[in-house]
Amino acid sequence: MSRVAGRTDWAEEEDEDSLQLPQQQIIKNKDGTETIITYSVREDGKRVKTTRRIKKTTVKQVVNPRVAERKHWAKFGAEKGKPTGPQTDTTSVAENIVFRPVANWKASIEDKNDEAKKKLEVKNAKIKCRICSGDHWTTKCPFKDTMAPEGEPAPVDVRDDVPEAGALGGGGSSYVPPHLRRGGAGAGEKMGGKFERDDLATLRVTNVSEFAEEQDLREMFSKFGHVTRVFLAKDRETGKAKGFAFVSYADRSDAARACEKMDGYGFGHLILRVEFAKKST
Amino acid sequence: MRPILLSGHERALTQVKYNSDGDIIFSVSKDHVVCAWFSHNGERLGTYHGHQGALWTVDVDPTSTLLATGGADNTMRLWEVKTGKLLKTWDFATSIKRVEFSPDGRQLLGVTEKRSGHLSTIVVYEINPDPETEQTNEQSLRIVCDESKATVAGFSYLAKWIIAGHEDGTISQFDAKTGELLYSTQAHEPDMQITDLQWAPDRTYFITASKDKTAKILATESLEVLKTFTADTPLNSAAITPVKDYVILGGGQAAMDVTTTSARQGKFEARFYHKVFMEEIGRVRGHFGPLNYVAVHPQGAGYCSGGEDGYVRVHHFDKPYFDFMYEVEREQANL
Repeated sequence: MSRVAGRTDWAEEEDEDSLQLPQQQIIKNKDGTETIITYSVREDGKRVKTTRRIKKTTVKQVVNPRVAERKHWAKFGAEKGKPTGPQTDTTSVAENIVFRPVANWKASIEDKNDEAKKKLEVKNAKIKCRICSGDHWTTKCPFKDTMAPEGEPAPVDVRDDVPEAGALGGGGSSYVPPHLRRGGAGAGEKMGGKFERDDLATLRVTNVSEFAEEQDLREMFSKFGHVTRVFLAKDRETGKAKGFAFVSYADRSDAARACEKMDGYGFGHLILRVEFAKKST
Repeated sequence: MRPILLSGHERALTQVKYNSDGDIIFSVSKDHVVCAWFSHNGERLGTYHGHQGALWTVDVDPTSTLLATGGADNTMRLWEVKTGKLLKTWDFATSIKRVEFSPDGRQLLGVTEKRSGHLSTIVVYEINPDPETEQTNEQSLRIVCDESKATVAGFSYLAKWIIAGHEDGTISQFDAKTGELLYSTQAHEPDMQITDLQWAPDRTYFITASKDKTAKILATESLEVLKTFTADTPLNSAAITPVKDYVILGGGQAAMDVTTTSARQGKFEARFYHKVFMEEIGRVRGHFGPLNYVAVHPQGAGYCSGGEDGYVRVHHFDKPYFDFMYEVEREQANL
């Protein structure tokens, strides 16, 4: 009806699409093989061209007379009048399948595959250390002891404290909650624990080019002293810099010097603006 | 092993069968058409037209001259294999879920569905093996299953008994002459439908598949459960392989849940178990829908499976299949 009216609705459009597909081609090659090219439309609407090269071999087999006689029966029904041999529209050959029976089948094969997959997934996952930005877990960072943000007690101190206050069931006393350890002097750990940053020596850098890399910033800022941390905000989807970064120094005086020198420094095609970071609260 | 894909059907396959020489495969699907294929190369011999509804079942007589089918159009039909000619139509009040010839081909059994006040029945007709003669309208036997409907049935060796599987997971044994219920056993989980019943080559035992995720081998005479094969998915079909002592199970997520799962999770694989040790020895992938039926070549040269995806996959076993032996089997063979 709609066709008469000259309109095409979506259902018919699809029909026309499939009509436009080229005809199947069968090419006989010189070496006795055949190349069959078929076209089809995939589920996502893309057209697929499938090229198969088939080698036909004649296998002679001795069968009983009943079977031999049936081979010469005339075709009937939908196949009536068609030539002998398999028709490509109803019969095709699938991918080769390796089937090898084994005892203890489940334990041996399927599990291995799953394990290998998991390993691969871990390998492919993007791991980033929060201390040195390397591609390992933060807990495995080689600098985790030396590069801990300042203000935190050095690991040596912690070691001293432990036997004194007693951790879990240590000494004769009962359980001591973490905030009462170290002689009850601790003001309690802040959220974020070890990775709570001291913003006193942290600079906020804005107007950073979107093509900037953390490594560039680290190089520029380490001229003024020991940089403990560089954080460049990046867009999660595009991976480009968002235009601001934080740089932490071990020493506040270094930070002050860097702030003075780097403010107004031309980086990329933009002029950096550097100031001391303010606490968000 | 390079499977041959038969794509002559437009809808889900419901049953596939080899003839007794294993050279022809018959397939029926919900698209109303019966197809006959040569098993060695997948060439389609012909199609049988006439049914008005989805087809549930097909069987061929031992001489490959007559073909019986049954379907949702409430008819059971008899065809001439060679020409595709419709020889006889029997009408019923409900659909036919299973047909099977007796081992000598002189009797034909049909299982009717329970619906709208009609109880499930097992009917038997005497068959004249000559395709030229008129077939009888008279039922030689009629068994009414009033407790739980029969889903599958078949003739034992010498057509001595009729063994039927029921919707409630029971297996029952009827006298094939009188129709008397001799024995019934709760072989599978209660209320789990028996989906398939296939015979060992000599029909002294058979395998049943059930929605309770197990397949069991039972002795024909005593209905004793001899072997249990446990799978992790509801089973639609189970077959016993000749030559090698394996069984093949087919199944997968129920058809209505398929779209919500990936092919990997759907467990659409043919599972091979060792018949004696009841251990899984391998799987064959390929279908992207549940397997509705698996049939084994009568000489053990291969098997084919019909899937909900509308394909029949014909497999010819290769060397590793025949070579595989358990340690104890190998020792036995070397003695």
